[in-house]
Amino acid sequence: MSRVVCLGIESTAHTFGVGVVDSEGRVLANVNRTYKPASGGIHPREASQHHAAVAAEVIREAFREAGVEPGDVDAVAFSIGPGMGPCLRTGATAARALSLRLGKPLVAVNHAVAHVEIGKLTTGCRSPVVLYVAGGNTLVTSLVEGRYRVLGETLDIAAGNCLDSFGITAGVGPMPAAEKLAEKGERIYELPYRVKGMDVSFSGLLTAAEKLLSEGAKPEDVALSLTETVYSMLTEVSERALAYLSREELLLVGGLARSKRLMQMLEIMCSDRGARLFRVPDEYAGDNGAMIAWTGLLHYLAGDVIKPEESRVRPRQRIDEVLIKWDNRG
Amino acid sequence: MESLEPVEGQVVKLGAEAVITAVNWSGYELILKRRVEKRYRRPEIDEAVRRSRTAHEAKVITRLRELKIPAPAILFLDLSSSSIYMQRIKGQELRSVLTTTPDEQLVNLAENLGRIVGRMHKGGVAHGDLTLANIIIDDRGRPWLVDFGLSVFTTELEDMAVDIHLLDRSLESTAPEKREQFMRGFLRGYEEEAGRGEARAMLSKISEIRSRGRYVERG
Repeated sequence: MSRVVCLGIESTAHTFGVGVVDSEGRVLANVNRTYKPASGGIHPREASQHHAAVAAEVIREAFREAGVEPGDVDAVAFSIGPGMGPCLRTGATAARALSLRLGKPLVAVNHAVAHVEIGKLTTGCRSPVVLYVAGGNTLVTSLVEGRYRVLGETLDIAAGNCLDSFGITAGVGPMPAAEKLAEKGERIYELPYRVKGMDVSFSGLLTAAEKLLSEGAKPEDVALSLTETVYSMLTEVSERALAYLSREELLLVGGLARSKRLMQMLEIMCSDRGARLFRVPDEYAGDNGAMIAWTGLLHYLAGDVIKPEESRVRPRQRIDEVLIKWDNRG
Repeated sequence: MESLEPVEGQVVKLGAEAVITAVNWSGYELILKRRVEKRYRRPEIDEAVRRSRTAHEAKVITRLRELKIPAPAILFLDLSSSSIYMQRIKGQELRSVLTTTPDEQLVNLAENLGRIVGRMHKGGVAHGDLTLANIIIDDRGRPWLVDFGLSVFTTELEDMAVDIHLLDRSLESTAPEKREQFMRGFLRGYEEEAGRGEARAMLSKISEIRSRGRYVERG
């Protein structure tokens, strides 16, 4: 079979990214621009305006970096959800326009599936339990009978959101600031450790940590207590999932995959139970265009293309809604 | 002379967080459930977590005994080592006797189990991991519930429905040919204890949980 090329557009939150991949699993381009708010969290409309402003330039740059002509692209993929509505719509609009202009099919990609698939591609693991942790998502998942099943998830806020919010309250800013601050901590405060089966809950933990700050506890100590508790909980649910499905591979993906301490805890857990840990490389940890392009290519080869009129974004789409036709190892 | 100290025997079960060992204590057959250290956690956090969960499990079992739910009695709690010494239920896991039990007897067993779970739910406790491996059938054919590590004090319909859903999924993967008659018997018994309205509400909640595609079976 001849080489197939797919272009993918990511725009679920603060990153607008364009990736180009081919059917040999090569990432030909991965160009990403991140909207940075002047203060506080992401405002969806402002982020989407940023994305609209940079879209054309990022797409051009991706073509240049990949060294392919627009006509060489076989499919155009975009992230359909989950994510922020205005941001998703900007990416979807760009993808529809490109698809129509090139006369190439449109492919819808679930953002969470994409994080998992780029992790599998770049680490070579086969049948993993996946821990996906980021600013907006916390999920323990694994492929079982053609779908990524939700084994565990956060019952309230995401792990990354918890650490970002704490960092902002403590005056050091979003991650990795809280983890850096924690390196200077010495004392552990007991904070609410909420694991329910394979689900986790972080909002009570965040409230308790912020209360300690307001009572004058040393920010370094609170940061240490918070990060240690959050990562312990994530490691515990990962271990439960490995035991539950009798799997021997754990794959760490998402923005928090860059955390050294989380990685270290998962390493210890895996080695104690004879499992292997795989971690997505830094450049594919955060939101990126390449993961959408790669997952789009897998969908395209499996025949999953959609008509533009059916390409409405799905801000709340769950990972287990997507049928995975290209991998029967789960 | 018999030792006053418990004598540890064979490991009965090795879970993700606890090790269960057979123990002989002055001639009594017990089991010891010990939540093991996790090296990945800092000792301060690790100790607090294991201690509070052990205490919680003991509290749940105490409540279940008040409700006359067949759950192993606690003989001794050692929080410093996150250990619970419990009555040892002599018997077999439901999953290993399911296919060998005659139909009529199995339906009785299912009804009986339904009454027990109905009573537990009415008493405000959800098991949290109600699979065939956590139901023991003793030598006289009576069901016992074990392993309350994930159990919760709750009045939420969702928690209760998850219990029944997990049981159903567990049957589906172990003995699909027995599933329907077992669940019918179970729900009859459940309704007797929990009430008709509750059982109805439960069934619709279960189908909602199913549609979410969560709580997959062990692979």
